Amino acid sequence: MAGAVRDETVEVCDSRLRLHVKIAGDGPPLLFFHPLSGLAWSPLLDRLAERHTVYAPEHPGTSPGDPQAIREVQTYWELLLSYEELVSKLGLERPVGLGQSFGGMVAADLAASFPQLLSSLVLLSPLGLWLDDAPIPLMEMVSGLPADVPTYLYAHPDSEAARAAQAIPADPAQQAKAIAQATWNVGCTTKFAWPIADHGLGRRLHRVQVPALIVWGREDALVPVGYAKEFGRRIAGSRVEVLDDCGHVVQADQPERSWTAISRFLAG
Amino acid sequence: MKVSLFEQVPYRYLPEGFENQHTSVVTAPYQVVEPARMTESLFSAYAELMHGARAGFDGICVTEHSQSSYDISPNPTLLASAVACAARAEQLDVAITVLGRSLGKTREPLKIAEEYALLDCVSGGRLIAGFPVGLSYDANLNASLPAVETRERYREHRELILKAWSEPRPFPWNGRFEKYGQVNIWPRPVQQPHPPIWIPGTGSPGTLRDILQHDYVFVYLSWDGPKLTGRQVFDRYWELADELGRDRNPYRLAFLQVIAVSETDERAEREYARHLEAHYRSGLGAIPHTAMAVPGYAEPAAIEGMLRSTGPAGMLSRMKTATYAEIVDSQVAIVGSPATVADQIEAFVREFRIGNLLVMLQNGSMPRDLTEKNISLFAEEVLPRLRPVWDAEGWENHWWPRAAAIEGAV
Repeated sequence: MAGAVRDETVEVCDSRLRLHVKIAGDGPPLLFFHPLSGLAWSPLLDRLAERHTVYAPEHPGTSPGDPQAIREVQTYWELLLSYEELVSKLGLERPVGLGQSFGGMVAADLAASFPQLLSSLVLLSPLGLWLDDAPIPLMEMVSGLPADVPTYLYAHPDSEAARAAQAIPADPAQQAKAIAQATWNVGCTTKFAWPIADHGLGRRLHRVQVPALIVWGREDALVPVGYAKEFGRRIAGSRVEVLDDCGHVVQADQPERSWTAISRFLAG
Repeated sequence: MKVSLFEQVPYRYLPEGFENQHTSVVTAPYQVVEPARMTESLFSAYAELMHGARAGFDGICVTEHSQSSYDISPNPTLLASAVACAARAEQLDVAITVLGRSLGKTREPLKIAEEYALLDCVSGGRLIAGFPVGLSYDANLNASLPAVETRERYREHRELILKAWSEPRPFPWNGRFEKYGQVNIWPRPVQQPHPPIWIPGTGSPGTLRDILQHDYVFVYLSWDGPKLTGRQVFDRYWELADELGRDRNPYRLAFLQVIAVSETDERAEREYARHLEAHYRSGLGAIPHTAMAVPGYAEPAAIEGMLRSTGPAGMLSRMKTATYAEIVDSQVAIVGSPATVADQIEAFVREFRIGNLLVMLQNGSMPRDLTEKNISLFAEEVLPRLRPVWDAEGWENHWWPRAAAIEGAV
C-alpha cells in the first residue's frame, strides 16, 4: 500500500466545472484515466503510487453527489480541454499519462492534441479507433444484461479482481445507490463514446511525440487485439505488448505480467 | 369525453414462440417476415383507422417506433397523412393525433415542425401534436444518440418547433444541438400559435410538472391498465395540478386502454384471448428491459427510486409469459360484452378524471375482420355511454383541434 488516498477538487472551464481528483503516493506525477465504469481504486494504482504521485480524475458526472457536472462538458473537445487545464491547475510538470479503455482513448488524445503535455504514455487496451473488419461491441455491452458484462471484459470472469470489480453491496439501500451510480457513470462516459468511440483520433496519433507503451490482451472481447497493431503503427516508436490468456482488463486478468510490462516501461 | 382509436402497426404473422428466441426491437430478425404479409399488415392498419373514422370515433392516434416488429411505424406522419386526406375527402370530422414524432430521438427537428404543419393544413386544422421524448431503445440504440443527452435534445427541439410555427419572420437558431441560419418553414399550422400539444409519458414527477406548467395534456401510455400503476400516477398528476394552480379539468388527461368487445363475455374470450396473449408476449414482452433504459437515459435519483420502489408493480416484467387470465384480471386489457366493457371503463374514467380516452382495438396477430368488428361494436354500443361522462360538470376542452372555427373563417 502506498498510503492514504486523498481527494482534491479543481475548478476548470471558467469555474463552470469542478473536477474531482483522487491523489496518492509520492514521486513523479502520473495521470490515470479510468474506463467506462468510472474510477475504482485498484491494486494497479497502489503499485503505481509506490513510485509516482498518482492523480486520478473522475470523469465529469461520475463523482458521487455531483451527477449534473456532465452537463457542463458539452463536447469531447471540451473534455480534452478540461483535462489539459487540470494539468496546469494542479501544477504538474509533464506527467505520465496512463489510461485504460475509455481512459486510454482520452490519454492518447491528450498526447496527440497537446504534444507537450505528457512525458510518456501508457495505453491499456484503449478505445478510440474503429476498423470495419473488427467491430467493437460497446453498444451491445452497455445496453445488454449486466450479468453479461464480464464476458466482454475478462478472460477470467471468476478471478478475484474481476469479481471485486463487479461486486455490489448486500444492503438493499446501498445496493440501489451503487447500481444507480454505476449506471449513471456509464451514461456519463458513453456520452463521448457513443455509439462508436471514434473522434478522429487515428488522424491525430502521428502527433504523439513521447515514448508510448500499448498493452493488450489477446482474448480481448471488447476491443479486439487487432487494434494493438493499429495503435502501434500510428504512434511512431511505440512498443506493443500483447498478453496471452488475457481479456480487456489486462491488470485483472494478468496482474503480474501486465505490471512487469508497465513498470519496466516506466522505469525507462 | 373524447374517445380516439389508437393503433400500432404490428407484423401480424410472427411465428409462434417468437418471444422465446428473439427480441421485438432493435435486433428483431427481419427474416421472419413474408413480404406479402407485411404488405397486408401495414395496409390493414390504415384500413382499420379509416374504419374507426367512419364509425364515429373523435380521433385517430398513431405512434412512432423504428426497428421494431410490434409497431412498424418509423414515421407516423406518413400513416396519419393518408388518413387525414382520406377523412377530409369523405368529410369525416376526426382529429389526427400523432403521439408522435420523438423529439429526443430526431436529428431533424425542423422536419417534424414541417410535417406536423402540413398535417394540420391538409386535415383542416385537426392535428393534435404529440411531443414524446422517445423510448430509450429508439433514441439511444436505433438512432444511436448518447442517452445522457436525450432530454436536453428533447427540450431544445420542442422550443425550436414551437418557435418555427409561430415566429412570423425568418430567424437564426444557435442551439446546443441544432444550428440553422434562417428558419422559415412552409407551411405553418393553421391552428395558431400551435395545435393542441399532448405529451405521452410514464408519469415521472418531472414530466408531469413540465406538462402542467406549460398547460399541455398528459397522455399516460402505461400498458398496465388503470388498476396496477394508474392510481399513483393520476393522484400525483391532480395533486400537482392543485399545487401549480391548474384546475382539475379532465381534458388535461389522456389515457390509453386496450379493449376487446364481442357480443358476450364468453365469446369475447373465445375470439380475442389468443391474440391478446400473443400481443403482450411477442411485443412488449419481448423488449429486453435493459433496452428501455440505456445507461444515462434516467437520472441516478430516478434509477434509485425505481429500484427502491415499494409501490404497485406493473405487468411489464411479466408480459413475456402473460396469460389471458392475468391480462383481464389486472385490466391490462378490458375484454367482454359491451356492457361489461362500458361498466369497467366508465368506473375508472370517472374515478381518475380522464377526459380523453385512447382505445387500442387491434393487437398483435388480430386479423382485420375481427379488428373491424371490435371497432364497430365499440363505436355502436360502448362509445355512446362514454361520450357524456363529463357533460354534467360543464368543462371546456381547450386541448382539442379547432377545426370548425378555422373552416368557418376560410
